[in-house]
Amino acid sequence: MSFINDFLASWREYRRPGYYEKFDYAWTMSIDLDRCTGCEACVTACQAENNLPIVGEDEFAKGREMQWIRIERYWEGEYPNVKLGFIPMLCQHCDAAPCETVCPVSATYHNQDGLNAQIYNRCIGTRSCAVYCPYEVRYFNYNNHHWDAPLDEQLNPDVSVREKGVMEKCTFCIQRIRQAKDQAKDDGRRRVRDGEVQPACVQTCPAEALVFGDRNDAESQVSQSMNHPRAYHVLEELNTDPSVVYLKKVGSNAG
Amino acid sequence: MSSIDRRDFLKLVGAGGVGTGAGFMLRESIKHPTQHLIPYVIPPEEFSPGIATWYNTVCSMCSAGCGISVRTREGRAKKIEGNPAHPVSQGRLCVRGQAGLHTLYNPDRLTGPLLRAGEGKPGELIPITWDEGISQLAERLNVLRDDGQGNRICFLSKGVRGHLAELFELFVDQLGSSRLLHYDFAHPQTLYAAIDRLFGETHLPYYDLKNTRFLLSFGADYLGSWISPVHHGLGFGHSRQGRDGIRGRFVQIEPRMSLSGAAADEWIAANPGTEGILALGIGNYIVSQGGYQGSDREEWAASLAAYSVESVATQTGVPAATIARLAETFADTQPSLAIGGGAAGNYSNGVDTLVAVNALNYLVGNLGREGGLVFNPEPVVGRGANASQATYSTMLDLAQDARQGEIEILILNQTNPVFTLPEAAEFREALAEIPLIVSLSSFMDETTSMADLILPSHTYLESWGDDFPEPGVGFSVGAISQPVVSPLYDTRATGDIILGLARELGLTDALPWSDMEEYLQESWQGIYARGSTEAEGFEAFWTDVLKAGVWGETTRRVAPASVNASVIESVGVEAPVFSGSSDNYPFIFHPYLSNTLNDGRDANLPWMQEVPDPLTSVVYGSWVELNPTTASEMGLTEGDVVEVESPHGKVAAPVYVYPAIMPNVIAMPIGQGHDEYGRYANGRGVNPIQILSPQMESETGGLAWASTRVRLTPTGQRIDLVKTGGVSRDLGREIIQTTESDTDGGETASLHSIPITVIPT
Repeated sequence: MSFINDFLASWREYRRPGYYEKFDYAWTMSIDLDRCTGCEACVTACQAENNLPIVGEDEFAKGREMQWIRIERYWEGEYPNVKLGFIPMLCQHCDAAPCETVCPVSATYHNQDGLNAQIYNRCIGTRSCAVYCPYEVRYFNYNNHHWDAPLDEQLNPDVSVREKGVMEKCTFCIQRIRQAKDQAKDDGRRRVRDGEVQPACVQTCPAEALVFGDRNDAESQVSQSMNHPRAYHVLEELNTDPSVVYLKKVGSNAG
Repeated sequence: MSSIDRRDFLKLVGAGGVGTGAGFMLRESIKHPTQHLIPYVIPPEEFSPGIATWYNTVCSMCSAGCGISVRTREGRAKKIEGNPAHPVSQGRLCVRGQAGLHTLYNPDRLTGPLLRAGEGKPGELIPITWDEGISQLAERLNVLRDDGQGNRICFLSKGVRGHLAELFELFVDQLGSSRLLHYDFAHPQTLYAAIDRLFGETHLPYYDLKNTRFLLSFGADYLGSWISPVHHGLGFGHSRQGRDGIRGRFVQIEPRMSLSGAAADEWIAANPGTEGILALGIGNYIVSQGGYQGSDREEWAASLAAYSVESVATQTGVPAATIARLAETFADTQPSLAIGGGAAGNYSNGVDTLVAVNALNYLVGNLGREGGLVFNPEPVVGRGANASQATYSTMLDLAQDARQGEIEILILNQTNPVFTLPEAAEFREALAEIPLIVSLSSFMDETTSMADLILPSHTYLESWGDDFPEPGVGFSVGAISQPVVSPLYDTRATGDIILGLARELGLTDALPWSDMEEYLQESWQGIYARGSTEAEGFEAFWTDVLKAGVWGETTRRVAPASVNASVIESVGVEAPVFSGSSDNYPFIFHPYLSNTLNDGRDANLPWMQEVPDPLTSVVYGSWVELNPTTASEMGLTEGDVVEVESPHGKVAAPVYVYPAIMPNVIAMPIGQGHDEYGRYANGRGVNPIQILSPQMESETGGLAWASTRVRLTPTGQRIDLVKTGGVSRDLGREIIQTTESDTDGGETASLHSIPITVIPT
């Protein structure tokens, strides 16, 4: 039974809270809901950076849009005492990610930086991960996508274009993280400095609601955000241990 | 391949890091037979692909004038980001700015000059060469010019600033014409008029949201579509959570909740058109309760006497207690700020309303101080953005002149009045009377489709230019717009087309420059001569400005101390006049600028079609917003197609039940409803501008686009709205959590802000 014991030992290690502390980096995003205006700049920035296709009206109507970050909106109260709250929703890069354990081919896994990563050419498209994800942030390619020429000239050469039958999702702009790490290495430095790498959504946010960094660095902005009294995780009760921290909106959301 | 050698290619693609400007590189490349970057199937020896080059330039997707940095790889633009050094955008960008690449790489761009063949308008457009196009147009212009009939030429552009605007003025003046017009649907002309009347300023002030503690916004969707959304977004974020122990509070007064209304702490629906009356009620309370102690207190008290809190409460529908509370908070929370715009500035009483709103800033001493209203210095170049702007009545005059045969040549530059003027203006019909219409647009659109000659311009990412944001940020800012990629097609920069025409017409005495770049270099000598630079020599200065993507002077003006007594006397707001009787047309129509499509000009960008509307999450179409009570009374649910009918036309669109709109108001987004604007825009939704009444704002003659009444007729048809939003309520999941504590835990995240430092004079 040593195989089972080994497996259980690994499993326990994998599920141990805080196991990510031994990672090189633990990339984290904080989103201040008191700053977020719901302007959608992050959505288009992500589409531009990550070669997300335009699916067209018909596919969109079937719920097959490809937007790795989206703005969710929740109304509270009734007219005239009505309020609208916005919340940007993207892959939470959970440290206990339900999507990872369910993939039959390990196409989605946790990398050494604490990112929930997707290996496109390993994915066989069972879509189980999308079913298990409580945040509904995994997107499946139902089609091969087409860019009307010359729109394809805009495609980012640092990011692969995904094919039909493959699941995809937010990567925290892993190509930018890689570049920053390479730069740090080339400069003879050991680590990436706080603020040196920003995913496209964080970079563009006009209200500076989104902040990105390494929570293993106690001095980083996201570390401070994580310890902020307004910090919380969405659907915390599921114990997914997300890497996205939200800061509560101030004031009652209901009128 | 081509005769370009490896060294030149390296120059073309740049060597990584921040580029010194594609312009320099393009100039190098012009010496060679090819003017185009050629895709390298086999990369040249020693060339390592994969190094990005960034160019700083200026965004032209709206009139805010944000500085941007464009990331290019192998000669192609890949991504646009805000330029961190530019005080307007500070490294940030909005959704429309991000989509600039879809303008550049749009498959529906015009690829070269076209001439309408044969007689009559339905003739086919056939490709011609630039030489043919320029010489044919020059010939026609020359006949009128020689005849002293230059005034039969009209130049109608979108709003442009900086040296391109100067060039237009020079050119049109040389033609002997006085008809140089800029036309934008959303130009805030009523705000210009209000600021002029109140403070004697011909330029808009800078509203310092960043440092304010209490903002009263009367209809201005400052985070979505009003003046400078990126800069306002920065200010909003900082005001909210960027200061230790201080959290700015935001109040939005408007009949339908906008993006800014949703972000605000409090959303107040006042009766449409009474926003100015509400402002005066607040003013009355402040003055009568002793909140204002200036020497002209008596004058203010007299002119505000008619606006007691009780009577204002009746007129506006806002409870007296709320008015008193707003007034007290506004006076006591310093610095506070009042802004007005959007629909509030576009009723029949628009200017009076905005005078009333801005007078509040005067009453509580917000003028010229941090967190208040700061006056901008004189424009560095030209007469500013308002000088040539056409109002609705100017456009009617133009149409009238066209019908009477007084316009022989109309040159259009990137403006689409057929789409952005109501049907009642009959502008399309008037255009049909003009013998020669020339369009410099980069895209086919509803107005360009009527042109006889099309000389397509480069997009802003391929052109030289400059921009001086107006309103600025309290001090002078400018930036040079430089090409970031080689032109994709056989198009030319607008400035170069003008200079080409001038050469052909023999106007080289007045317009001696060979191209836009040379013209800019010469013109920027004047800015260099202002001495606000440490660069040694003009060449160094020019390179510095290109590299940094911004130039500025941090000197600030001293605000005028008082408001003229006759102005105080004139303060007052009439009840708004709506077109159509309330019996036949029971609803007030509230069109609003789309967050993504602007006034319709961005409807041809696929990203903008597919990004959900922030408030409704609808994509790809038009919709009619109804209050839930109104909808249930009429038996309407989401997706029921209704006809929206004004005295001047009707459009049909599906209902969206919108929880935050007044029961007697219906709203529609502007932007869709194109039929000649390329594959992504055509045949989607409807254009609400079409059915607007030709009601004018009483002082400026601008279109009072918020003062139309409509009725609704269900058609019995249904359309499923395409949208992302599913369940629109939280249902106890606590996805968005809130806290009561205002400033718990101190400030968050301002590492990436660059402070705007202002040196007081």
